[in-house]
Amino acid sequence: MRYSYYPGCSLEATAKPYDVSVRSVCQALDLELDEVKDWNCCGATSYISIRELTAFAISSRNLALAEKMGNDLVTACPACYTVLNKTNIYMREKEDIRKTVSEALAVANLKYDGTVKVRHLLDIIVNDIGLEKINPKIKQRLDGLKIAPYYGCQISRPHGTFDDPEFPMTMDNLFSSLGAEVVNFPLKAKCCGGMLMTTDPENGLSLIKNLLSCAQDNGAELIVTACPLCEINLEAYQKKVNRKFKTDFFIPAIYFTQLLGVALGLPKEKLAIGKELVSSEKVLDRFYGGKR
Amino acid sequence: MSDLKNNTHKIGVYVCDCGSNIAGMVDVPEVVKFASTLPNVAIAREHKYMCSDPGQDTIKKDIKELGLTRVVVSSCSPLMHEPTFRNAVQDAGLNQYLFQMANIREQCSWVTEDRIKATEKAKKLVAAAVERVILHEPLKLKEVAVNPNVLVVGGGIAGIEAALQIANSGKKVYLVEKSPSIGGHMAQLDKTFPTLDCSACILTPKMVQVGRHPNIELMSYSEVTDVSGFVGNFKVKVKKKSKFVEQEKCKACGDCEKECPVERDDEYEMKMKKRKAIYRYFPQAVPNTFLIDKTERPPCKITCPIEQDASGYTALIAQKKYQQAIDLVRKKNPLPIVCSRVCYHPCETACRRGDLDEPISICHLKRFLVDWEMEKPEERYKKPEIKNEREEKVAIIGSGPAGLACAYDLRLLGYQPTIFEELDVVGGMLHTGIPEYRLPKKLLKKEIDRMKDLGIKIKTNTKIGKNFTLGNLKKQGFDAVFIATGAHKGLKMKIPGEELAGVFDGVEFLREVSLGKKMEVGKRVAVIGGGNTAVDVARTVWRLGADEVNIVYRRTIKEMPAAAHEIEETQKEGIKITYLTAPLEIIQKNGKVSGIKCIKMKLGEPDSSGRRRPVPVEGSEHEIKSDMVIAAVSQAPDLSFMDPSLQLKVSKWETLETDPLTMVTNQEGVFAGGDLVTGPATVVEALACGKRAAISIDRYLNNLPLDSKPIIEAGLGRKSKDDIPKIDVKEKYKDKPRKPRMQIPGLSIKERAGNFKEVELSIPEKLALEEASRCLQCGPCVECFECVRVCEAKAVNHSLADQTVELDVGAVVIATGFDTYDPVLAPQYGYKKYDNVLTSMEFERLSHAGGVTGGRILLKNGKEPESVAILHCIGSRDENANEYCSRVCCMYSLKFAHLVKEKTPAKVYELYIDMRSFGKGYEEFYKRLMHEGVLFVRGKGAEITDVVENEEEKGKLIVKCEDTLLGFVRRIPVDMVILSTGLQPQKDVAEVTRLFTIQRSRDGFFLEKHPKLAPVATATDGVFLAGACQGPKDIPDSVAQGAGAAANVIAMIDKGVVSIEPIVSYIDPEKCAGCKLCLTLCPYNAIEFNQEKKVSQVQEALCKGCGTCVASCPSGVPIQYGFRDEQILAEIEGALESETLAVNK
Repeated sequence: MRYSYYPGCSLEATAKPYDVSVRSVCQALDLELDEVKDWNCCGATSYISIRELTAFAISSRNLALAEKMGNDLVTACPACYTVLNKTNIYMREKEDIRKTVSEALAVANLKYDGTVKVRHLLDIIVNDIGLEKINPKIKQRLDGLKIAPYYGCQISRPHGTFDDPEFPMTMDNLFSSLGAEVVNFPLKAKCCGGMLMTTDPENGLSLIKNLLSCAQDNGAELIVTACPLCEINLEAYQKKVNRKFKTDFFIPAIYFTQLLGVALGLPKEKLAIGKELVSSEKVLDRFYGGKR
Repeated sequence: MSDLKNNTHKIGVYVCDCGSNIAGMVDVPEVVKFASTLPNVAIAREHKYMCSDPGQDTIKKDIKELGLTRVVVSSCSPLMHEPTFRNAVQDAGLNQYLFQMANIREQCSWVTEDRIKATEKAKKLVAAAVERVILHEPLKLKEVAVNPNVLVVGGGIAGIEAALQIANSGKKVYLVEKSPSIGGHMAQLDKTFPTLDCSACILTPKMVQVGRHPNIELMSYSEVTDVSGFVGNFKVKVKKKSKFVEQEKCKACGDCEKECPVERDDEYEMKMKKRKAIYRYFPQAVPNTFLIDKTERPPCKITCPIEQDASGYTALIAQKKYQQAIDLVRKKNPLPIVCSRVCYHPCETACRRGDLDEPISICHLKRFLVDWEMEKPEERYKKPEIKNEREEKVAIIGSGPAGLACAYDLRLLGYQPTIFEELDVVGGMLHTGIPEYRLPKKLLKKEIDRMKDLGIKIKTNTKIGKNFTLGNLKKQGFDAVFIATGAHKGLKMKIPGEELAGVFDGVEFLREVSLGKKMEVGKRVAVIGGGNTAVDVARTVWRLGADEVNIVYRRTIKEMPAAAHEIEETQKEGIKITYLTAPLEIIQKNGKVSGIKCIKMKLGEPDSSGRRRPVPVEGSEHEIKSDMVIAAVSQAPDLSFMDPSLQLKVSKWETLETDPLTMVTNQEGVFAGGDLVTGPATVVEALACGKRAAISIDRYLNNLPLDSKPIIEAGLGRKSKDDIPKIDVKEKYKDKPRKPRMQIPGLSIKERAGNFKEVELSIPEKLALEEASRCLQCGPCVECFECVRVCEAKAVNHSLADQTVELDVGAVVIATGFDTYDPVLAPQYGYKKYDNVLTSMEFERLSHAGGVTGGRILLKNGKEPESVAILHCIGSRDENANEYCSRVCCMYSLKFAHLVKEKTPAKVYELYIDMRSFGKGYEEFYKRLMHEGVLFVRGKGAEITDVVENEEEKGKLIVKCEDTLLGFVRRIPVDMVILSTGLQPQKDVAEVTRLFTIQRSRDGFFLEKHPKLAPVATATDGVFLAGACQGPKDIPDSVAQGAGAAANVIAMIDKGVVSIEPIVSYIDPEKCAGCKLCLTLCPYNAIEFNQEKKVSQVQEALCKGCGTCVASCPSGVPIQYGFRDEQILAEIEGALESETLAVNK
């Protein structure tokens, strides 16, 4: 199976372990990823909030490049997934936007016909490959590992295509089929604070604290995410949360591709495990010959 | 047609201003001026309101005075006023179809923004109409008589109202209701808004009226399966599902219900209570009778060759009714002790519990029962009664299970059977083939003694062909013969060395052992074969002291025909099984067996039996050392008794040929069964043969024709997997706690060695009770027949079948009601996840005096709630569910708030988007609730969660919402949440749409003919709508619509005839090629095929004039009156060439 791959900015920087593990896992699952050459910003966050039309234009450039490549465009970042999808929908449905953006693309000798399907990697793994085909490739079952899969908002809302917007289950199903115990985690699609940590840290911290305590109270040893921003919010601010709320959280948060890689028997380096701010050593070492 | 065009015509054109509706955008005088220039136009006029009386009078006057031959009115949509103007034309003496309407309002003035363009378009439309109307031909309305009977589908309040009104006018009404009682949703409600009168109190009198009305034939638990015909003359098929209780006899005393062991969720009580498998829908049900739920029939019983009541006795064991249980077993099974030990129990393979964890140990539960009976036989064994003694004698040849079963059943019917047995022991293979450690001989003797005690004569040491012949049996006064001599001849392996000393035949070996002959066994014994005989032989040899026993089988364990648990026991006893190995030759040393030359096999393609065929592996020959070889490859009947003069037909497998169900041979009065007919099979299959033969012999002796029907009705037909209703067991019983089946107590391996003691031991009562209670009771009726036992009125009849009746009716009222939105689809509301989140219908039953709490509003933990939130618009006004407003939720939510306030001290929150209290007395009710202190929060509930943020929220359900009046997000902690779920179409709405060829609107409900002016009619003449099947409605509106539909129906019937629109299609039989394409495409099933002439014909009464056949016919044969090709082309030409036309005048 072959897909065009759009990494996005986070996966080149703060979420490098995500990118590393995405590539390793896809290789192990025989998914061929062709990175879109000369891709640019997807237009997310501040751009699309402030200058929507410009955001559509720069986002469409990526879609136009992907359209030339022919295959479905896959991304692992839910923000890219949302913005690319939104652009796609608006380019198809809003004539005025299509007209202006097409003019802008034409300047760069590009055009976009709206034929690209934007997909999230989780969708590809669970629905295109399927649990039945993944299971024979599993070298290390995750029996006994208690995890809280955390989806955040953008993977299923507002332009999600493959899971329930309010109560997504894809990661739950994936990891329970690999033997992990998925704990009750009712806040799995609730806000991680997003960019609030930079603009309104007080509310941001309280949202993070809610998520951490819900996961921990329900017995999770590990949080598994599919989003770079969620991951950093959940992991990087545990100290601040502890200070503010007099708690003692120390719960690692990793990407779903990293945990899937563990199950596929990939070595730590190929999954960039060990680069966490909250070490996952205690939780994951049992799968690497260590004791529990 | 073309000559019509050449004739000179006088056309009147009338252009309507429609107040400012048309004149506001179209320059009407300009259009009139233009029209008057068109060819054949005699007069063109403008009028402010053409539809008014003066407008119509103008047309009439012009027709009379100017001699107009055609009329065009250019105004609104023909849907509005075509009938008006047609009538005016007809009144003036012109045929009403010589008229055409040009729509310059909906299609012109209303949708055009430019006055000049609008005027131009209006001109074109007028010119088109003028060109067309010239080609119009006079058409005649047809009339057909109306059948005065009426069908009402659905027995909710709308259907009840319609049925009563129509019946009161003296017409016959058939009221068909899907559920066991009429009443619909209204029968489930507690109180009704805004008057708060009890729903049942106002509904039940009407239900009773329906039940008693001489003009209403009520068909509950019934469904319409087919509709044909047309307005005034419908033919309807109704399937009346069997209730298994005779309605006229049932006194509704409820004795049966008390005895029934099966509990199921009560749908009427919204699954908050349990009901029995025999139940009454609710206490005030009409008709007030019980019925049995047999929707999913137990597979254990259906699969059993003799339909042993497995689910029935299992349920009775669970209730400790052991006597009833063993009586039930004995009812069908003449050899229960034998079966409880040796049956291969296909019931367990079919058991639905097997899909969940492990099947019920059905066979061993029977063993528990027979052992229980044998503890105190004098008290517990009930000797069957023989009611009618008869003189006829029946000879039964062979005392195996088939012969015994046949003799037993015949004896119970009063006949005098005599069994002839070759050996001096009775039981056939039961004695000589099944080893003692599986079936102790003394138990077999017990069964046979009981048979003798019943009066069955058994003559041993009497061999057919030797001591007597079939021929002289008749002379001895036997009226019929049943031959069941079994299959006792062991087949050879057909390899060299088989004749050597030390090589035995398996069947023979077992027979010798069972007859008490001392058999010497070797040290290393090889048994060839993989069936039950091979396994029995190996285990017997092991008990006789062989050092090493080795079963040699050519396929793998998966293909072994022996019973799985027997194979398991064999392996436990240390017996080796060598798979994928076939013997080639027996090797000798000094004339004695020293080993077997074998070859390795591998599995190839599947053979006809579906098992993979073994193929030899080249060069893999090897030797298995052994000093004794026993061949147990297969058995066949020994036909040496057969005298060729008998002329009995033998099959190519050396078995006797009979009819598979009646068991009759090719000789009159001679029947046969068991292994002799089937080839080597099982005990229970032999029993089935014997029982079938008994039925046939009874019919034969009563001079009735032999027929397989009574055999199938007795449950003795051939079974197939398709007979078992398919259900998703894992889904349906997902909440059932998993539990493994019981472990059967047995002798240890040490205790078994060197003796023939019975291996399996009796089942302790506690174990049996636990096992029996694992049964899913999936029937749900388990057919224990306790209801039959206790019913004094003798009303319960488990053999009542479904019935289909055909009705002739003139009109149909559809009142199939609604379904409620399932909030499981919106997981954010935590329905089914949190105990105290209820739907509105669940709250109705909670609050109802007859409900689960007797009308007290309680939480699942039995406490009263301190706070309750009612969330409006769940599944309504929601793009992710249904976009429309369900119209009743605001009001019933207010009613709920009132009930909670009345019955508890709880705080009540109403979370609403907009309050919609539009009906009579509704707004006043809203105001009253505000005064009662209900807290109204404007904002839709967003989510229910139990993730708390502070102490105050602990143990509560948190309702999250945006309070749009206060302007911020709130978290409201409450104890109970009621989801005001919306109304949506019934699940089978598509099926009903198809049956009655009606349409649905975008919301999925049935579509009325006109949203304002014809709200109860449909596009299909003679089919009317009432109640919420047309769209969400409260009770007053449903009743009004029911009455409205009734009025429509009565008016139609009282007129006696209906007119049929002549704009229909016609197929010229001379031109039709009979390809039938139009038949498949006609959406109204209006075309039928004339088999004689091989052409398609239009049934004019059914045709709606849609034109599909006209467009689809490959040879363009069908024409449609009023829409002929020439007429349409003329219309197009008129529109395109309007200017040329005008100039040319």
